[in-house]
Amino acid sequence: MQLTERQRGQLWGPRVTPRSVALALSAVGLLGAVGGAAADDGVDVNTTWYQEQRQGGQGGLTVIHPQFDAAVDVGEHTNLSLGYAADAVTGATAAVYAVDAVSTATTFSDVRHVGSLGLGFAGRRATLGFSGSVGVERDYLSLSAGGNAAIDLPGKNTNFAISYSHARDQACDKANAELQPLERRALTGADPCAKDYGVFGKDTLDATMLVMTTWRDLTIDTAQATVTQNLSPTMVLQASLFGQVLEGFQSNPYRRVRVGPNEPQEHIPDTRARVALSVRLNRWLPKLRAAVHVSGRAYSDSWGVNSGTVELAYSQYVGSSLLLRLRARAYQQTAATFFKDAFFYETESTAGSYFTGDRELSPVRNAVVGGKLTLLSVAEDDKKVWGLFDRVDWNLKADVFLLDELPADDEAANLGGRATQFLSSDQLLDAFELQLGLRTAW
Amino acid sequence: MRRTLVLVVTLAGLASACGRYAVRPNEKEFLADPVMTFDGDPQEAAADDHVLTNREGAAGGNGAGGGGCGCN
Repeated sequence: MQLTERQRGQLWGPRVTPRSVALALSAVGLLGAVGGAAADDGVDVNTTWYQEQRQGGQGGLTVIHPQFDAAVDVGEHTNLSLGYAADAVTGATAAVYAVDAVSTATTFSDVRHVGSLGLGFAGRRATLGFSGSVGVERDYLSLSAGGNAAIDLPGKNTNFAISYSHARDQACDKANAELQPLERRALTGADPCAKDYGVFGKDTLDATMLVMTTWRDLTIDTAQATVTQNLSPTMVLQASLFGQVLEGFQSNPYRRVRVGPNEPQEHIPDTRARVALSVRLNRWLPKLRAAVHVSGRAYSDSWGVNSGTVELAYSQYVGSSLLLRLRARAYQQTAATFFKDAFFYETESTAGSYFTGDRELSPVRNAVVGGKLTLLSVAEDDKKVWGLFDRVDWNLKADVFLLDELPADDEAANLGGRATQFLSSDQLLDAFELQLGLRTAW
Repeated sequence: MRRTLVLVVTLAGLASACGRYAVRPNEKEFLADPVMTFDGDPQEAAADDHVLTNREGAAGGNGAGGGGCGCN
C-alpha cells in the first residue's frame, strides 16, 4: 500500500461518515439476506470498477471493489453465511477546501478490508437473523453487529420486517484535544496510526512521550421497519421507514478548510440523526415477460440535508436465458446548514462554529443511467449446471453518473466562483461503474 | 413530520385494503419470479449503496430484500 500525501478534501469513502454508514448499511443488508434462511445457499462473487473524473492533472479516482459471499443451510431451519469485501482506492484528492482547491490536489492510495458473519433461522412464516462485521484499514476501524426479524401474515401477502444494527467505529486523528476548532491540525499521510493486535487503535507517542495521534470514537445506531404487500397477482409494494443516529467524530481528519487566513481541520457536529421514508413498487407485465420497477425516497437529517430520490427501471426477459434491465435514477439534495461555498468561508467566516469542505454536504444533483445483462442457467431434469449447481447467473452491469453541483450561497456575491472548489470534473458525465458478478445456488 | 404521518397512515390503509383482495397461492407465479423480488442481488445492492453513499449526503431507506411471493 502506497501512502503519499493523504490530505483528503474529497475522495471515495471520505473518512468516517459515509464509510461508516456504508458499513452499517452493509450489516443491515446482510441481515436482510440472512433473514431469508430458506433461500438457496450458494456462493456469490462480484467485482465493481468505479471511475470518477477529476480536475487538476492528477488523474481520476479509481476504486476496485471485490465482494465474496457464501451461504449454507445447516439443517432445515438454519443458515450460516460469511462474506468478504475490499476497497482498493487510488486517485486524486484536494488538500484544502478553498476557492482554488484544484491546485492543492495530491494523489493517494488505500485499501480497506471488511469481513462478515451471519446466522439465520427460518420457520414457516417467520425469519430471524443475526450478523456481525469488521472493517479495517490503516486509519479506520469499524465493528458492527445487528439483528433482524420478519414475519408473513396469514395468506403470505403481507410481510413485516424490522432490523437494527449498532456499529462502533474508530478513526485515527491528530491529537488536537487542547486546541480550539480554528487551531486544529489535520492528519497527514505521514502521521502514524498505531494499533493493538493490528486492529484496535491506540495513541501514538513521540520521543518525548507526547501524544501525536489518537483514535476518535463514533457510534452508529440504525433501525428500519419495512412492510411488503402483494397488491395483486402482478404487483407488489414495499414501504420502509429508516432511522439512524451517529454520535462521535464525523469530520474528515485529513481535510483542511481555508477560513480567513487559517487552514484548520474540518469541524462538523458530533451528532447526526437521519430519517428516510421509501416506497417501491414492482409490476409484472405478463404479455411482455417483463417488469416495471418504480421507487421513491424522501430523506431528512438534523444537519439540514434534505433530499428526494426517484428511480424507474425495466426488466425484460429475452428468450429463456437472458434478462436485460435498464434503469434511470435522479437525486437532489439541499446543503447542510453549516456548508458554505469556499469563497464565503475564506472571506467571511465559519457557519456558527462549523466549517466543512465535504461535497456530500453541498447542494448537488446526481443522476444515474445504466443497464444490466444477466445470463441465466437453471438445472433441468436433475441435470445440474456445471454438474453442481441448481442455478448459475452471470451478471454484467454498467452505470454512468451525471453530477450537477449547485450554489450553496448567493451566486452573484461569490466573486471567487465555484468551478475549482471541488476536484469534480467540469464535465456533466462525472463517473462510470462496471460490475461483473457470478451468482450460484446449489 | 405531519406529512410523514399522513403518508404512513395512507400506506397502512392501502395495505389493509389490499388484504381484502388477497392473492391466492396459485396466483403467485408472477410474484415468485426473481425480477419481482426487491434487492434480488444483495451484492449488487450493497455495491450500489456503497457508490451512492460516497456521492450523496443521504443514506438508507432502501427497504428490505425479499418480498413478492411470500414463500419463505
